[in-house]
Amino acid sequence: MTAAYPGVGIEELRRRLEEAEDTLRAIREGEVDALVIGGDMAEEVFTLEGGVEAYRAFMEAMEFGAAALDGHGRLVYANHALGELLGRTAAELNAVGLFAALEPAAASAVRRIAAKAAHGGRRTVEISIKAGDEDRHLLVSAAPLRLGPSEGVAVTFADLTARVRAAAAEESERMARAVITSANEAVVVCDGDGVVTHVNAAALALVTVSPVGQPFRDAFALEFAANGLMEQEDLIAVAIAGAPVQGIEASVPNAVRHQDLLVSAAPLVVAGQQTRGCVVTLVDLTPRKAAERQQLLLMHELDHRVRNTLTLVTAICARTASSADTIEAFQTAFLGRIQALAATHKLLSEKSWADLTIQEIVQAELAPYVGAASMRVRLAGLGVPVTARTATALGLIFHELTTNAVKHGALSVNDGVIDVRAIEDDESFVIEWREREGPVVSEPTRSGFGRTVIARSLAFAPDGGADMRFEPEGVVCTMRIPAQEVRPSTGV
Amino acid sequence: MPSSDPVKLTLYVAGQTPKSLAAIENLEAICRTHLAGRYSIEVIDLRKSPQLAREHNIVAIPTLVRELPIPIRKIIGDLSDSQKVLVHLAVGTE
Repeated sequence: MTAAYPGVGIEELRRRLEEAEDTLRAIREGEVDALVIGGDMAEEVFTLEGGVEAYRAFMEAMEFGAAALDGHGRLVYANHALGELLGRTAAELNAVGLFAALEPAAASAVRRIAAKAAHGGRRTVEISIKAGDEDRHLLVSAAPLRLGPSEGVAVTFADLTARVRAAAAEESERMARAVITSANEAVVVCDGDGVVTHVNAAALALVTVSPVGQPFRDAFALEFAANGLMEQEDLIAVAIAGAPVQGIEASVPNAVRHQDLLVSAAPLVVAGQQTRGCVVTLVDLTPRKAAERQQLLLMHELDHRVRNTLTLVTAICARTASSADTIEAFQTAFLGRIQALAATHKLLSEKSWADLTIQEIVQAELAPYVGAASMRVRLAGLGVPVTARTATALGLIFHELTTNAVKHGALSVNDGVIDVRAIEDDESFVIEWREREGPVVSEPTRSGFGRTVIARSLAFAPDGGADMRFEPEGVVCTMRIPAQEVRPSTGV
Repeated sequence: MPSSDPVKLTLYVAGQTPKSLAAIENLEAICRTHLAGRYSIEVIDLRKSPQLAREHNIVAIPTLVRELPIPIRKIIGDLSDSQKVLVHLAVGTE
């Protein structure tokens, strides 16, 4: 026993002394962070974290989620805002710990920045978490924190969900506008009342006044080519009601230029299943329609031409046979005429049966006898496109004139010259074929099929035709082409 | 102490201070490793029940009290030095 502590043995006092010394050592070395103060009063616990209540009160005042971790990543304190963010009460969060409350990927990301922040410096990372049925995007920031005698980490969580969604919505809107703007075809977006809200450049080109803000039916005033089952109001109403309408042919009578259109409309579903309006696409069918009409015309023309050609071949055969004295003469004349037809036909087909110039026809017929660069043939003012039937007629006439020149005229001698030129005339386009420097010419004693061809080929119209004169200097042929058969000159 | 004797431990903590959290985690790890199957731990939060400090005359937190086997022993701190904890608990040596 001791005097100061009656009833307490030396061993007990020694044990108490060791305990007191160990307590002091532990406090001095920072191994404890709370003390119990009591004595005769009721015991109270005071922490040594350095104003712990103050920092916890501050954390609770923050609108951000906040957590204090110790140097090993253990949750020291989490505020209510963080609990709400993670769908738990603060008490639950403090019980299970921060990382257990996060999904593995998010927990790993936060653990990583917390560990780095513990060694100094601020670190941030963006994470996604599930809160109920929706994803939330959080910006997590970690920074060193002094917790009394210990080092820790302060982690804050800022909810970026609204900002991320706004950015995504903005990007989506920008993308949608880009898609509409970039579309080749006309695209019109209408709201639930059928009022135009967006149009692209192709749609603007259809109208004279901006259609935005106007009802679609007024802005575009489509006329449907179909049987009247579908009206414009129906098209928009059906699409807004949620049913797509595809491929109805229509036209815009009040358009800047007439256009045949293929109209489709689809419901505009912006979020979930709710229809917010409709998207109308107007595909320009004008070129396709024109091509269809051209094809039909060509088919009729081909049919007509084949029948004409067969009739012409029959006539050529009969008339050549009547004027030929021998089989060989018949064969030569007949083949020459058929080849002239073939040459003209070749030219026509190469030019799609249109826009052949007179010069091209003359050169095609003369080519077997005179080179294109020869000074013996002079062409002037013939770069004029003519219709297909005039081209055919001129092909036959120039064939007969060339054949005659080779056999009896300017091309039968070395110095003969042929001038082919256009002559001004008010009512028709006149061409003169004039031979000179050849043998002296006299009127033939009999008229063959060649002269008939020349006289009649251009006589399909009252102001068309050809006259052939046998002047001593050479043959002169004047051809009159009806004005409507000639197209504007190409400048040749 | 025979190695089969049960070890009854009481750990006094102060809510979730860093040292308290560390002491809980360290003690559980030491017991799992060295006292498997023969220990019980009671954790007393003196923030909630400060009056319980009186029973073992607790002054500093965290403090671990070995109640069984007797005699009672105390270890102050976060128990991060497991060798020191084992020496103080004198597991298998008494």
